Amino acid sequence: MNATIVRLAAQALLGRRRFWLLLALPVLLVALTVLIAVLTDREAAWPLLPGLGYPIVLPLVAVLAASSVLGPEVDDGSIVYLLSKPISRHGVALSKWVVAWAATLVAGALPLFVSALIAGGGDRAPAIGLAAAVAGTTYSALFLAVSALTRHAVIVSLLFVLIWEGLLGNLLSGVAWLSVAQWGLRIGYEVSAALPDPTNLVWAVLASVVVTVGGVWLAGDRLRSFSLRGED
Amino acid sequence: MSTLVLDSVSRWFGNVVAVNDVSLTISPGVTGLLGPNGAGKTTLMALMTGFLAPSAGTVLLDGKPVWRHTEAYRQIGLVPERELSFGYLTGRQFVRANADLHGLTDPGAATERILGVVDMVEPAGRNLDTYSKGMRQRVKIAAALVHAPALLLLDEPFNGVDPRQRMHLMDLLRRLGDEGRTVLFSSHILEEVERLARHIEVVVSGRHAASGDFGAIRRLMTDRPVQYAVTSSDDRALATVLIAQPSVRAVRLRPDSGLDVEVDDLGSFAVGLPQWARAHGLTLLDLSPSDESLESVFAYLVNR
Amino acid sequence: MAERTGVIHDLGYRRYDGPRDGTATIARTLYVTGLRHAFGLGRSGKSKILPFLLLGLCTLPAAIVVGVVTLISLDELPIGYASYTTQTQLLVSLFAAAQAPVLFSRDLRHRSIVLYLARPLPAPVFALTRWLSLTSALLVFTLLPQLVLYVGALLAGLDVSDQTTALLKAVALLLLTTTVVAGITGLISSVSLRRGFAIVGSIVALVVVPGVVTAVQAIAQAEGADDVGVAAGLASPWSLHSGLADAWDAGVTVFTPPSGGWVVAYLAVAVLVAAVTTAALVRRLMKVASR
Repeated sequence: MNATIVRLAAQALLGRRRFWLLLALPVLLVALTVLIAVLTDREAAWPLLPGLGYPIVLPLVAVLAASSVLGPEVDDGSIVYLLSKPISRHGVALSKWVVAWAATLVAGALPLFVSALIAGGGDRAPAIGLAAAVAGTTYSALFLAVSALTRHAVIVSLLFVLIWEGLLGNLLSGVAWLSVAQWGLRIGYEVSAALPDPTNLVWAVLASVVVTVGGVWLAGDRLRSFSLRGED
Repeated sequence: MSTLVLDSVSRWFGNVVAVNDVSLTISPGVTGLLGPNGAGKTTLMALMTGFLAPSAGTVLLDGKPVWRHTEAYRQIGLVPERELSFGYLTGRQFVRANADLHGLTDPGAATERILGVVDMVEPAGRNLDTYSKGMRQRVKIAAALVHAPALLLLDEPFNGVDPRQRMHLMDLLRRLGDEGRTVLFSSHILEEVERLARHIEVVVSGRHAASGDFGAIRRLMTDRPVQYAVTSSDDRALATVLIAQPSVRAVRLRPDSGLDVEVDDLGSFAVGLPQWARAHGLTLLDLSPSDESLESVFAYLVNR
Repeated sequence: MAERTGVIHDLGYRRYDGPRDGTATIARTLYVTGLRHAFGLGRSGKSKILPFLLLGLCTLPAAIVVGVVTLISLDELPIGYASYTTQTQLLVSLFAAAQAPVLFSRDLRHRSIVLYLARPLPAPVFALTRWLSLTSALLVFTLLPQLVLYVGALLAGLDVSDQTTALLKAVALLLLTTTVVAGITGLISSVSLRRGFAIVGSIVALVVVPGVVTAVQAIAQAEGADDVGVAAGLASPWSLHSGLADAWDAGVTVFTPPSGGWVVAYLAVAVLVAAVTTAALVRRLMKVASR
């Protein structure tokens, strides 16, 4: 961990136009929940969470956050200013991840929890909040690794979320074993049985931890071998 | 004092060889890395700064490899050709961040000191976005120098910098070299290198074409006629004498005064000239090599 | 003293005095190049992976459907032409989001736009040509599976006139929808020059917003407030597409189908969005060109 890198990454995340995009998603979710809850009844707003908030808004926030802290710098090569320093590469990756993780929790998991409270969640609210926090943690590490691996990080991450977890996940139940969203739900299920219970708990916990730690470590490892190249 | 040693370094990308079996040593003082665009200078720079693994050979800084060796950056200051993308920081914040990342004991003082060295104290409070090319270049150099590295590597540092600021940068680099630091800069522009460094390393098509003092390199190229400018008491008379000599290929009267002489056999010309002059009662006023510019050296190496 | 003189040597370059191709030819060349680039053709091998992966994913179900129809001799397609597009709208959205930056961000970001505009090609023509390339690419992307379905249906001996009518309806809808989608993604890409953020922005417009609309429509229907759902349908290109398809009886059902004046409103909004985004795109490129 390095305070300077955390500060620079936070500045890069907050000080630009992309911040508004990052902010727009949770605002949209909460506003919509409030609107529906006010116009009809609170229960009617609940389907927004498993239908939109959890499978789309949360990963999108994670994609934006993770790719903002690393993507542009790798893309235009200005990461060399960070890397030409006697700092452990894993420290750089960890510092970057902490920022992306915090952003994902604040702009992804927290609004989900708030929406769930508004939608009359009862014990479902903390459950989906926990699920979102777990999945958000795993997503941010996974997408950070993707950002360190390829310049096409955003589209690769989106393919994972929308095609693999979304489209194929709905068709093939086995995908749940390799789905960050489903691991989160399984852990949330421990708080409220109203959530679905795909896979099993031990697997969900282990897989989330492995992907989180492995993602940050892999990002650091890729930075260790960062090569300056011309345009592709 | 730091020395960077490349030993039989090659780097290829797929089936393109960017750097081909280069061995060279960069010692304290200013060294120019010269080569036409696409010669592999940037690849070589990346290899030297640990941002590229050599496909073969070793790159050692004071005996230790630089690839995947983060501690080496305590010794290295790097000025990449890439533009800064930290436009939302002020110059001072950017340099300060670099000082912080190096873990200096008093980063604030180091920042102010180096901003003074590159003459950027006054605009340091403005955002990098608002800087001119030359100012950005100086801030990049400040960021690279803030931890007083023994080795400073600059990739095309004068690109797009206006002449006055270029002079300023050159003075700065010369001073750093005189302080005993190892300064290496790359360029494809001859007059830049010529004005700043006597010692050059030339790369052409990824190969190490020449190394050393460029005057000495020039003298090694004996299979090409050498140009001399000669001034004497009677240029036309001297011309008739010289053209009769087998070692001389051509003589031309200069428009103002003096002769341009093209010499094939340097040895017999050097021995013969004083004798021929004395024999014909001519006084030699001035004799100087007229093409020992880097340009001619370079043109020779590139066209060989 | 000799005079200082200068000379320009005749190196043998010759002037070209023959006929030159006009704007139309340049625009056509640019259009074809843009269309090819949208599928990664004429670019590196890596850039072909994504478009063709998505195209494959989008066409595969059509091939499977044709196989099923042939094997068990159904007398109609289990999925309609227009509804096929609605079912695969996620893939179409991803394709549009990922490939629009190829046509709109790169030239602006690397400033190579000035090279294009240094040729006698006015900025508006450039913008429109690029937009047309993207629209055509989207049409190719969406029509290929439809054609597979159509050819399969005919080979399986289904009624020709029924199939043709249904296909033509779907094609007409697609013509409208692709212009809207191309306008939106093109505009987003030309404003946000970082590829990643352009993609996320387009995904918000093409996946998140339609998701919100569908949710609102489902709730509106359940609550008996159909008008709210119909009005919400105006907010996204895909809900416009599905709403119009439902109203036109093209084999798509939505929670709250528009009827009467709403159909006109749907049509008007779709045309308006296409026109406004395209105009904004032209303005954006003209602004960049004048810099």
